[in-house]
Amino acid sequence: MLVINPNSLSTILKSLNKLLSILIVLLSISSLTIIYFLENDYYQGISFKIMFIHVPAAWLSLLLFGVMGITSIIGLVFKSPNALIIARSISPVGLIMSITVLITGSIWGYLTWGTFWVWDARLTSMLILAFIYFGHNLLLNSFDHFQKSDFAAAILAIIGLVNLPIVKFSVDWWTTLHQGASVFKIGGPSLSGIYLITLFISFICILLISLFWIFNILVTTKDKRKLERMRLFNE
Amino acid sequence: MRSQKISSRIKNRLIFLIIIFSCFSSSIYLISYALKDKISYFYSPSEIKELEIDSTQTVRVGGLLKKGSLKIENNIWFFDVVDENDNSVSVVFDKTLPNLVRENKGIIVEGKIMNNILNAKNVLAKHDENYMPQSAIDKMKDKGVWRGE
Repeated sequence: MLVINPNSLSTILKSLNKLLSILIVLLSISSLTIIYFLENDYYQGISFKIMFIHVPAAWLSLLLFGVMGITSIIGLVFKSPNALIIARSISPVGLIMSITVLITGSIWGYLTWGTFWVWDARLTSMLILAFIYFGHNLLLNSFDHFQKSDFAAAILAIIGLVNLPIVKFSVDWWTTLHQGASVFKIGGPSLSGIYLITLFISFICILLISLFWIFNILVTTKDKRKLERMRLFNE
Repeated sequence: MRSQKISSRIKNRLIFLIIIFSCFSSSIYLISYALKDKISYFYSPSEIKELEIDSTQTVRVGGLLKKGSLKIENNIWFFDVVDENDNSVSVVFDKTLPNLVRENKGIIVEGKIMNNILNAKNVLAKHDENYMPQSAIDKMKDKGVWRGE
């Protein structure tokens, strides 16, 4: 098994950065091409193609919040600084993802439902998720010392975990304007096969972009901490 | 001895977090349980029949647009919203309908009910979770397994 020393993480990433960015650009171009040539939906026409950004971004904003909550629990319970750094580097990416969901969703909603925004359960709980991400980001930089801000932000992330099942199951528990689940539901996905494949390709693309971004933030944060420690030691 | 001390600290912190989490989630559960009817975005026509709603209250009714009921007279739309129990609500609407309003497709109407007729202020189209290209539908129609219009 390959064991990665966290200190060598930055050197590994620097050598992989170029390769990864080329891969991501190629994958984005190819998935956008597939989306461009995809046949329109029989009912919604061309406007359904927003789905291929909206849905992966929504999955990621939930997934990243889940990972952030779990690493926050590990960080608080076992006092692990690495876990808290992971939570810290996920937070801004998750915020961008949830804002993407809200913006693409309201454009799609205007084209299909006839309104940008309604206060139904799914939309409201997603907005709350975006607010929790925003608050987490603020808390991460709100104290003089990073340990205090990490502690406060971790508590918020753990409490925010309650919101995840609400976002996911809001369309089943209450009546909403938002449609029900298309992919992860009892009885299998109700998307046509070609749409499902395209959706997974665009999901992998956005997943790679966020992972790339998260790792870069992680390495930068670690380097910054190291410099700070060295400065303190020299003083 | 020392490792025992550390593990008891870890246990304490874990218990602390579990208590915070369970308190918070149960409070959220209680709130959403108490506001169950308010959180739901619309009533079905069957629920509207059972509830006593006077003509000053604004309600939202959702269901399918009844097949063959949509017509326009003097720039006013008339249609029925129907649910799976075949209960329906008649609607009048005097503005433009959203693009995706079709017969036998989802629709949500907001307005006041007077003399069993819903005077709509606002109409929204509700699409379902099924997506497929037109060519797939043509194929299904050829085989005779397509159950839509």
